[in-house]
Amino acid sequence: MAEIVAYFLLLSLLSVGGVNTIFPEMQRFLVEGGWMTAADFTQLFAVSQAAPGPNILITALIGWKVAGLGGAFAALAAICAPAMVITWWAGALWDRMRDAPWRVVVERSLVPVIVGLVLSGGYVLATPGGLGWRNILIAGSSAAAVTFTKLNPLWLLVLGGVLGALLFR
Amino acid sequence: MLALCQFLPGPNVANCSIVLGRRWFGLSGAAAAFSGLMALPFVWVLALAALYTGYGDDPLLRAVISGVGIAGAGLFIGTALKLARPIARRPVALAIVAGCFLAVGLARVPLLVVLPAALAVALLAARKRWI
Repeated sequence: MAEIVAYFLLLSLLSVGGVNTIFPEMQRFLVEGGWMTAADFTQLFAVSQAAPGPNILITALIGWKVAGLGGAFAALAAICAPAMVITWWAGALWDRMRDAPWRVVVERSLVPVIVGLVLSGGYVLATPGGLGWRNILIAGSSAAAVTFTKLNPLWLLVLGGVLGALLFR
Repeated sequence: MLALCQFLPGPNVANCSIVLGRRWFGLSGAAAAFSGLMALPFVWVLALAALYTGYGDDPLLRAVISGVGIAGAGLFIGTALKLARPIARRPVALAIVAGCFLAVGLARVPLLVVLPAALAVALLAARKRWI
C-alpha cells in the first residue's frame, strides 16, 4: 500500500487538466504491478461512476481493495494533497496573471494532450479483456450518445449495465 | 476560476475547494470546503463497494458492472471527442492527440515519460500558432 500511496503522490502532480488524464497510467501501474487485473480496475471504475461524486473517488476504492478503510483514506489523500498544495500557491498567482499571453499559449497547448490522454483512458477502461465487438458496441453507443445528444450520462450507465447483463453473462 | 482548477494538476473538485475556501476563509475554509465536498460521496462510494463485494461473485452482477464500466469508458471517449472539437481542423494538434493515444493507450508507455515529451511538443506548437 505504501508503494501505491507514493505513486499516487507523484501522479497527483502529473494530472494536468484534471484526474481524467491519469486514469490510463493508474491502470497500467496497478495491473502491471500485480495489484489487480484489468477487469478488476474496470469494475472499480464502474462502481465509482455509479456512485454520486467526483471521478477521483476511484482512488478510495483502489485503496480500499488493497488495504481496507485506512487504504481508502490514504489513497484519496495521496492523489489530492500535492495538487492542492500547488493550487493553494497558484490561486493568488493566477489572479495576477489573468491576461498574460503565456497563459493562452499554455491553455491551448494542453488541449490536444488532454484529449489524447482521456481517449487512452476510455480505450483502456473499455477493453479490459481485449478489443471485442461487445466492448465496441457498449462503449461506442455511450460515446456517441454523449457526443451527439444531451442525454443524462446516468442513463447511459444504466444502458451499459443492461447490455452487460445481456452480453457478458 | 474554473479554468484555473481545470488547468492545474489534481482533481478539479479538490482544487476548486482550495481556491474558493482560501478566498473566503483561509486555510480552515479550504479544508472545510474540501471535506464537505468529499465526505458524503466518499461514504457513498464505499457503501456501494461494500455491497458489491458482498455479491461480487455473482456472474450476473459482474456482467452488469462490466457493462456499466465499459459504458463509463465510452463517456470518457465522448468527452474527449467533444473537447477535441476546437482542434478538429488542426493537423498538428491531431498528431499530438494520436501520439499520446498510441504511446499511452496502446503501447502503455509510462506517463512520466510521455507527459513531458508531449507537453514540450505541444507548447512549441502552440507558440508557433500551429494549434
